[in-house]
Amino acid sequence: MGLLSLLRKLKSSNSKDLKILFLGLDNAGKTTILKTLASEDVQHITPTQGFNIKTVQSEGFKLTVWDIGGQRAIRPYWKNYFEQVECLVYVIDSADRKRIEETGLELEELLEEEKLCGVPVLVFANKQDLLGAQQASEDIRGIGPYTKLEGQELANSSLFSKNRRGYKGRYGMGSEECFKEMITVLLSPKLVLSIIHLTMHDHLACKLDSSHKSAVGKC
Amino acid sequence: MRLKKFLLRYYPPGVILEYEQSGTMKSKSIDLLDLKPTTDVDMLLDDIVAKEPLITPSKMEQVRKLILRLQEKQAESVDHHFYLFKVLRAHILPLTNVAFNKSGTSFVTGSYDRTCKVWDTASGEELHVLEGHKNVVYAVAFNNPYGDKIATGSFDKTCKLWSAESGKCYHTYRGHTAEIVCLAFNPQSTVVATGSMDTTAKLWDVQKGAEISTLSGHSAEIISCSFNTTGDLLLTGSFDHTVSVWDTTTGRRVHTLIGHRGEISNAQFNFDSSFIVTGSMDKTCKMWDSRTGQCIGTLRGHDDEVLDVSFDFTGQYIATASADGTGRVYNALTHHCVSKLEGHEGEISKVTFSPQGTRCLTASSDKTARLWDPFSGKCIQVLEGHTDEIFSCAFNYEGNIIITGSKDNTCRLWR
Repeated sequence: MGLLSLLRKLKSSNSKDLKILFLGLDNAGKTTILKTLASEDVQHITPTQGFNIKTVQSEGFKLTVWDIGGQRAIRPYWKNYFEQVECLVYVIDSADRKRIEETGLELEELLEEEKLCGVPVLVFANKQDLLGAQQASEDIRGIGPYTKLEGQELANSSLFSKNRRGYKGRYGMGSEECFKEMITVLLSPKLVLSIIHLTMHDHLACKLDSSHKSAVGKC
Repeated sequence: MRLKKFLLRYYPPGVILEYEQSGTMKSKSIDLLDLKPTTDVDMLLDDIVAKEPLITPSKMEQVRKLILRLQEKQAESVDHHFYLFKVLRAHILPLTNVAFNKSGTSFVTGSYDRTCKVWDTASGEELHVLEGHKNVVYAVAFNNPYGDKIATGSFDKTCKLWSAESGKCYHTYRGHTAEIVCLAFNPQSTVVATGSMDTTAKLWDVQKGAEISTLSGHSAEIISCSFNTTGDLLLTGSFDHTVSVWDTTTGRRVHTLIGHRGEISNAQFNFDSSFIVTGSMDKTCKMWDSRTGQCIGTLRGHDDEVLDVSFDFTGQYIATASADGTGRVYNALTHHCVSKLEGHEGEISKVTFSPQGTRCLTASSDKTARLWDPFSGKCIQVLEGHTDEIFSCAFNYEGNIIITGSKDNTCRLWR
């Protein structure tokens, strides 16, 4: 990639080249989703110390996805990446019940960022298949209090009406669908917050043999 | 005119004469760019005496000693084998650029974590953390040869000038309206030039901390800027496919180098400022006559974008780095390809010559930096150990220490 290509990704050249930001706590699965989108191997992913950038092309659209590490120490640096963001994707580990409050608080802070004002937000409720994962509705309830969002009601709340209009939930989508959903969100002026529920199998189905699948199921 | 003192310049080889003329001290240099360890010293001396009135027959012995010393210097350290000296867990986010001071006793690293750090080369200790930028510190530079100041350019749109000794911030230069991505001190260390994604370059006064001029004319982001050896001209390379040559005293554009069909990746003067080399995403490099601004040659051969280009210290050779994973070395006069640097398993984003010109150093996305013999194209050494791609690399002035900065948040010292 090199520093020069970082600069090229920094500038917004044409309208079909869109910058997407992936944020969320550590271990939420941001890099896995990114790599799946780019059809890359997801078996050996380590905590992201800085960031990963991938450009994914489909249907005439070029999405430049910035995946930023989620560890506590580097969260203060998320704001370095807010310039010219077309869509924020917030990834939640639905099985990590202990940190649902923490993830909600982080999302709340993001929604109040001036530079992200009006930027559509897509919440990926990841790891739906793991034991102990929150149900779709619980996810919303879990993070709702911290984001002042709760289902359809949220659509009319003050924070929401100011810069985000609309809400939508969706279940069990594969990476293809995720991509399409991002495009939909980007193109639709009305739909500005969307929640998608993902399972590990969505990412891994195409990549893993059955033995690995069961290993994933155990964790 | 009375000759007062000789000064020796190793890279590129030369002898500086300090002399008195009607009461004031002046200096001029005898550039010995063609000097080789095998050069016949007597013939060279005759040549110098014939051309330079300050070198009278009585001074010849002194000059002979100086030339012999330069030749000795050229012959040494050719076979230097580098080993990993230190791994510095420098930053909590990826590094951007790195730079040595002239003596190589300290160096600076810039990072995505918004800081810049000054390091002691010998011990690997952190000397200063330069804090204050509100976003990525992308460009860093020492005011060589003095080395008492550091300039940093940031995505927060400002440039800061720091004391290298105390780490104190002297000035914050405000005025750019987008990220600063390149900067350079003039050789006199009186001016800092910055290039920005806002399509302009600016010149700033080092002493006063004020803007001197804005160089506008490019229609897209400026991503490289560099002064010539005397500091009266500045080159800016842009994503608008052109390179501009600016007169730094007037702030006027002297030439626009038009011809590339892709974004510019880098542009440099050779040592005597007669030629300019430019690298581009159009897979070629071009050579330009800096007096006329005319293109005098196109260096072809790469199968993908040229990501970096560099003259050696004497200006006789050019090294290129490409996204095709190879480097090339060209003769600057004949424009012939001298060698291909093949072996990296990913794109090469940086290339530089050792000050002696006997080695090329490349940094790649394959997580290695490599040393090459520029004439045979043979890979001499693979510097392995980084766990992510290498963004930047540099030699010290002696050519016996290398720093590499990586996306893995570390900086490695090799000696």
